[in-house]
Amino acid sequence: MDFNKESQVSCSWYAQIENCLLQLLWHLIHVTIDLWYFPLGIADVLESYLISWGLLGRYKSFNVTKLRYLAIVVDSEEVFQTSKIIRLLQWLEAVGIKHVCLYDNEGVLKKSKDFILEKLDGTILFWDAHENDVLSDRQHMTLEFVSFSDGKEAVVKAANVLFMKYSKSGATDQNQKDEIFTESQMSNTLKTVGSGGPKPDLLLVYGPARCHLGFPAWRIPYTEIVHMGPLKSMNYGSLVKAIYKFTMVQPNYGK
Amino acid sequence: MLFSLHFSPPPVIAPLPFKPLSHVPHHHHHTLNMLPSTHVLKPPLCSTMEHFTLNHHGKGGEEEEEEVDQTLPLGLRREAMPRHVAVIMDGNRRWARSRDLPVRSGYEAGARSLRTIVELCCKWGIKVLSVFAFSSDNWFRPKVEVELLMSLFERGMQEDTGIFLRENIRVSVIGDLAKLPEALQELILNLEETTKNNTHFQLIVAVSYSGQYDVVQACQRLALKAKHGLVEPGDIDASLIEQELETYCSEFPHPDLLIRTSGEFRISNFMLWQLAYTELFFAQSLWPDFGEAEFLKALLAFQQRRRRYGG
Repeated sequence: MDFNKESQVSCSWYAQIENCLLQLLWHLIHVTIDLWYFPLGIADVLESYLISWGLLGRYKSFNVTKLRYLAIVVDSEEVFQTSKIIRLLQWLEAVGIKHVCLYDNEGVLKKSKDFILEKLDGTILFWDAHENDVLSDRQHMTLEFVSFSDGKEAVVKAANVLFMKYSKSGATDQNQKDEIFTESQMSNTLKTVGSGGPKPDLLLVYGPARCHLGFPAWRIPYTEIVHMGPLKSMNYGSLVKAIYKFTMVQPNYGK
Repeated sequence: MLFSLHFSPPPVIAPLPFKPLSHVPHHHHHTLNMLPSTHVLKPPLCSTMEHFTLNHHGKGGEEEEEEVDQTLPLGLRREAMPRHVAVIMDGNRRWARSRDLPVRSGYEAGARSLRTIVELCCKWGIKVLSVFAFSSDNWFRPKVEVELLMSLFERGMQEDTGIFLRENIRVSVIGDLAKLPEALQELILNLEETTKNNTHFQLIVAVSYSGQYDVVQACQRLALKAKHGLVEPGDIDASLIEQELETYCSEFPHPDLLIRTSGEFRISNFMLWQLAYTELFFAQSLWPDFGEAEFLKALLAFQQRRRRYGG
């Protein structure tokens, strides 16, 4: 019995020593990884500042015509930072971006659109420009404001329009596998219900989470998505770098 | 923005249990009781196993003692594991070209990579894995390549049926299957039927699939239901559309994490409806090179990020 007690005590001691060693190893691994990534992070920040100061040649002037339509997604918690958003839009205009779509889940930006447009000289709404056929006017940036209601809710509306047409068509009972609706019908119907904007080439997400937060999914099947971090940390260099990288991409779209 | 890593606090370690683990006889290991649940620490992080060797999740009958392998690498928290991971397995052809190998070798290497990830998902408590195996756009690839892919799908399903049954894995295939060769369609139906009652893990394979196709077919099914009076047209909403999406075959239809390999930053028409609040992780490595280490990185990034669900 004494022997068992003694062996239990020594096992307990061994466990405690092992515990300490493993915790030390755990911290050592984490410090090593931090030390590995720290210089990479510093280099990234430094590059952003160099780009902002115009010291990196390739970022000073590059062709942005490939980026025909840019979308910006702003997290709900940061969407009230209107001054930041306006500055962001000014940077985009300076880079030469002509058409921007602003999205936030709850439509706060939609409600602020008059204020935002007022702060940006000459900027007009995308749909106004589209109706007046001045989209090719290179002097002004256009803005589109979308929210969650332009995403899944719009698909529901479009689906209901298609259902009505189908039920009125008098089509006889069909095999469930036969095609009733097509993707192009859905695209056209989305335009009819007011949610058929262009497909963005690039989508920049400002916020803590790396997700598009419900941006109208029908419009982003082949959109490049880049997470930019929190809006409060936004900087010109990172923005230019993201746009520049996009212009270098050669997608094959699965073919 | 400076890169910062926030790891979970170190595990609390209690006295060693005495019983050695029978399913890792050749590894020197420490066994630990880590609060709040028991974990086994496997040494080095990248211990890739070549074969499917899970021995306790299969349907072996109640007589077998349930040895639950709860091994998680350092830093991963079981309670924060994604329930559903989706993967766009990109880069097989580039992998082959970079090694002066035929395209076939790239796809075969990709299949091996998939097996590794399925195994890890089973081990780490992920319940559903969806993989984008063949998109609607891929039909435009050269005919020879498409036929090769179809034959690889067929072979893979035939060869791995035993593993799916043994490991209690349910297989579901989503997509416009009518475009597939008939033999493959039959194989898929049989495999789905055979594995439909398996509960440990679900593998969803998207073949001839696109997110837009999924939404349209969901609307189509609802239209037919409305026509037959099963649904009131006025009642059709986002929730009903979701229930008709092909991913509704799963208990967890919305991925928590999407991984795309090969350095591309697009979702390429995959699960458009379902990915609204999915964490996106774009990995630089090509799919055949995406192994345990990269998967761990993706899961750690997922657990570190604050996830929002649209406010």
